[in-house]
Amino acid sequence: MPHDVTMPQLGMAQDAGKIVSWLKAPGDPVSKGDALFEVETDKAVMEVEAPADGFLTGVSYGEGDDVPVGNVIARISDSAEDDPAPAPSQAAPAPPVAADDTIPEGHPVTMPQLGMAQDTGLLVNWLKAPGDRVSADDILFEVETDKSTMEVEAGRDGWLAATLAEAGEEVPVGDPVAIISGDKPDAPVARSVKDTQSKRAETSAPPPSVPEATAGQPTETVAPAAASPNPGGRILASPKARRLAIEQGLDLARLAEAGHPQPFHVADLEVLRNMPRATAAPVATPSEAPRRLTAVCSTDGLSAFAVWAGETRALNPDAVLAGFAGTSFGRAEAVCVSIERFGNRQTYHVPVGRSLSAVSETDDDPALIVRDLRGTSLASLNMGAEATPVLSITDDGAGLAITLECAAAQLDASAAIHLVTEFAGRMEQPLRHLL
Amino acid sequence: MAKAKTNTEDYLRMYRQMVRIRTFEDNANQLYLSAKMPGLTHMYSGEEAVAVGICEALTDDDRITSTHRGHGHCVAKGAEFKEMFCELLGKAEGYCRGKGGSMHIADQSHGNLGANAIVGGSMGIATGSALRAKLMGKDDVTVCFFGDGATAQGLMYEVMNMAALWNLPVIYACENNGYSEYTKTEEIAAGSITARAEAFGIEAHTVDGQDVLAVNELTQKLVARARKGEGPFFMELMTYRYHGHHVGDINREYYRSKDEEKDWKDNRDPIIRFRAFLVSEGIATEEEIEAMNAEIEKNATEAVAYAEQAPYPPANEVDMHVYAD
Amino acid sequence: MREITLSQAVNEALAEEMRRDPSVFILGEDVAEAGTPFKVLSGLVEEFGTDRVVDTPISEPGFVGMAVGAAMTGARPVVDLMFGDFIYLVMDQLCNQAAKQHYMSGGKLTVPMVLRTNLGATRRSAAQHSQSLQALVAHIPGLKVALPSSAYEAKGLMKTAIRDNNPVVIFEDKLMYQDKAPVPEEEYLIPFGEANVKREGRDITLIATSSMVQVAEKAAEMLASEGIDAEVIDPRTIVPLDEATLLDSVKKTSRAIVIDEGHQSYGVTAEIASRLNEKAFYHLDAPVLRMGAMDVPVPFSPALEDLTVPTPEAVVENARKLCAGEMIHAA
Repeated sequence: MPHDVTMPQLGMAQDAGKIVSWLKAPGDPVSKGDALFEVETDKAVMEVEAPADGFLTGVSYGEGDDVPVGNVIARISDSAEDDPAPAPSQAAPAPPVAADDTIPEGHPVTMPQLGMAQDTGLLVNWLKAPGDRVSADDILFEVETDKSTMEVEAGRDGWLAATLAEAGEEVPVGDPVAIISGDKPDAPVARSVKDTQSKRAETSAPPPSVPEATAGQPTETVAPAAASPNPGGRILASPKARRLAIEQGLDLARLAEAGHPQPFHVADLEVLRNMPRATAAPVATPSEAPRRLTAVCSTDGLSAFAVWAGETRALNPDAVLAGFAGTSFGRAEAVCVSIERFGNRQTYHVPVGRSLSAVSETDDDPALIVRDLRGTSLASLNMGAEATPVLSITDDGAGLAITLECAAAQLDASAAIHLVTEFAGRMEQPLRHLL
Repeated sequence: MAKAKTNTEDYLRMYRQMVRIRTFEDNANQLYLSAKMPGLTHMYSGEEAVAVGICEALTDDDRITSTHRGHGHCVAKGAEFKEMFCELLGKAEGYCRGKGGSMHIADQSHGNLGANAIVGGSMGIATGSALRAKLMGKDDVTVCFFGDGATAQGLMYEVMNMAALWNLPVIYACENNGYSEYTKTEEIAAGSITARAEAFGIEAHTVDGQDVLAVNELTQKLVARARKGEGPFFMELMTYRYHGHHVGDINREYYRSKDEEKDWKDNRDPIIRFRAFLVSEGIATEEEIEAMNAEIEKNATEAVAYAEQAPYPPANEVDMHVYAD
Repeated sequence: MREITLSQAVNEALAEEMRRDPSVFILGEDVAEAGTPFKVLSGLVEEFGTDRVVDTPISEPGFVGMAVGAAMTGARPVVDLMFGDFIYLVMDQLCNQAAKQHYMSGGKLTVPMVLRTNLGATRRSAAQHSQSLQALVAHIPGLKVALPSSAYEAKGLMKTAIRDNNPVVIFEDKLMYQDKAPVPEEEYLIPFGEANVKREGRDITLIATSSMVQVAEKAAEMLASEGIDAEVIDPRTIVPLDEATLLDSVKKTSRAIVIDEGHQSYGVTAEIASRLNEKAFYHLDAPVLRMGAMDVPVPFSPALEDLTVPTPEAVVENARKLCAGEMIHAA
């Protein structure tokens, strides 16, 4: 059985050695321990000995060649006439490149081990492109490790048949980064490490010892808590207070709006629990059920109008909306209307009359809240009365649904009907507002 | 001559063990050079007569503590190639289930208390093993292997003091291979090595560590005396490591000349010397020896092939054996 | 039930185990006739002789290393390390040798040894005889760490430690050697990894080790007078740690303070607080507080030394703030 003679790994941080001179010629008989050739590494020249008795055959590198560690340089055969083609290198722990039929045949250039405690190298950039003709000493790519950047050479003449990692990717030491083919490749390949790994997973069994457990302790998975509406920016609250608020459907934002001191703790939830109901309760007495009216618009006319109003008259769309709602209220004095959207709220002062440009921002308490739920998945809602009447806008097919919810004492029946129909009309036909 | 005849079996076994160590190391070196072995390793080649001469004087009940350069002790204390190569390659069938590797390799079932990768780190363990033997009324002896470099560690002096105070059955075996990592021993050790032990009243001997019979004969005497409570003892074994401090220590002419290495290999090799002795004494023929060598080489090749194919430990072993039940 | 001192409790535990198992022996400086400077071992050499109560030279790495070797070959040594501060001297033997033998040998070697030592400041012993270094060894996989908080724990944990097949480090508080507690006459063991709920409470959990358990109990009494109902838990061993009991308590009270006499930074308190954060986050109504010794070498002057360790008053103040929802350490 022939023995391979490979480029030995001589130093701790060495990836190739240069053959300085051959001390035996092809076909020479050799004994185990005979010096075959001299290798130069970073610091010194040393002799490489024959691993067995036999004949030197299959010499595939000449003097002056730089040979990557583990590459087969020659063989020691039982006869001088042994097949001169060197056996495929089994030394380098390179993955079975040939098993992946989409990668061209050729010699792998692997990620070198550069330090003692290095598992991967960062591929900084490619200096050659797939399909390029390369010489052994051409620099293929640059690698960055913990300490330095170094250039990796092709190691042999040929063509760059495949690149198996992209700039910026970490490549495990010993994994192939490129394939150098002896013949011009028909279809050079460019891949990322991710592609290569997934291809490899398809074509070969996983390595035997990929640990499923990692070094750290197992962490319990906790279902992510739903985000709570957060109108006034970040609310400071304890993790437990937040969790209980979500579980019990309590909105911490209200506590914040009410000026309750933050951070909120579990004890503060009691305050919150009493707050909205406490103010709504005297209004919505059991004998008077809250009102809930829904109108449907076949089209959403507001959107186009708001764009037009914004472009031609520099009107803020929410001010337009507030103006519509305030006017639909049909009151004889100015009203304040809040527009709520995605948890944000802004209140507008709507003066008597139809002038939209007179609508202005205010910090006063609103008489009416418009909750714009367009674009959400909500189809209908039944929230019950709140401290202030609420007009909710939801999508309804191509059109809109307008729902008013309020306590009976807040608006009488005819006022409620008036508000919803007027507002719905404006939403469908905004020009109605101007007429 | 007569003595040689009566000891034929022992002598052949000693030769065989030395060749097994050399063969193991040659294969381990190849595994490293061809990048098949993870990590690195420290070769015992050249020092075979020390481990074999000593361990052949011990029983399975006797303990040893080993060092980072421990493959030789491991083989000499009765380990098998297959489990050793598996350990070297980090495989589950290794003596330490792949968790120790080259620097902690040991066949614990034959009294090897482990290879220690802290230089001088096992001196307490060896002396403690001897203390246990004394306190529990056992007659086993513990041999503490360490290098000349370890004589610079303070622990040695603490435990030699106690061993001498209490007459513990421990033998301190200093393998003086002339180099403390990358430095000549004479540059790190003032005065004489044996005088260190003698300062505690410990009987100390210097012996040619390349002469397996000399090592074995001395050890047998000291072990017998230690069993009777006459310990501790100290041996300085003059020997030589053929490789660098570790397999990657290739360019070492700045601290050691090639001529010096060649001289030891050509003129003082323990295996060549003992082989010549066996032939000249008529204990074995050249053919018999060649056949033995070939058989050992074959065993090693098969063990390497086996280890290369053997499975790695499963992932669930990563946190196994942190604590004993 | 009779009351004995912590010192007597340790002595009893050792004597009982040495009678039970001839492989148990004691090794250390001045352990025999002197019975250690704290007189914990007095009388043992008379019963067991100098073969089993072995006086050593002042060679901590040497005799700890020898204990490792004796343990690996069939004995069960109990090493006496006169002061916890000397752990620094024996780090290689404890952390590189004892802790790793079982793992490095693939489970074939075991090191059933006990390292008895102590912790605790306020004995006016200055910086090299006052440290509480349990976090150092608790960091090393392969070592178990027990922190008895009373004579009862000291005896039960010591007996368990001696029977354990792993290296165990036991830290006794040197201020507590003369503290008495009820200890049963009959034999008992305290299993490792089982925390002791010393006092039940609803409002806040005080997790405390060693002598800090007393501090926590005093704090709990003071808090009770303010209407704050504190639960006090003693983990008893920090490796292994009874996480379940701690988590259950914190899920109930929603607040916790962890108190240990080691330096606060990177310490036992940090580890436990971190686990509570990771595993009981959504049950916390306040940040988990750490209270350790100040990050300074222990000073000699009583006026300074007393400032460095957690006190009941400081625990009360922190507990009060947490329960009131005040922001502590807020940026």
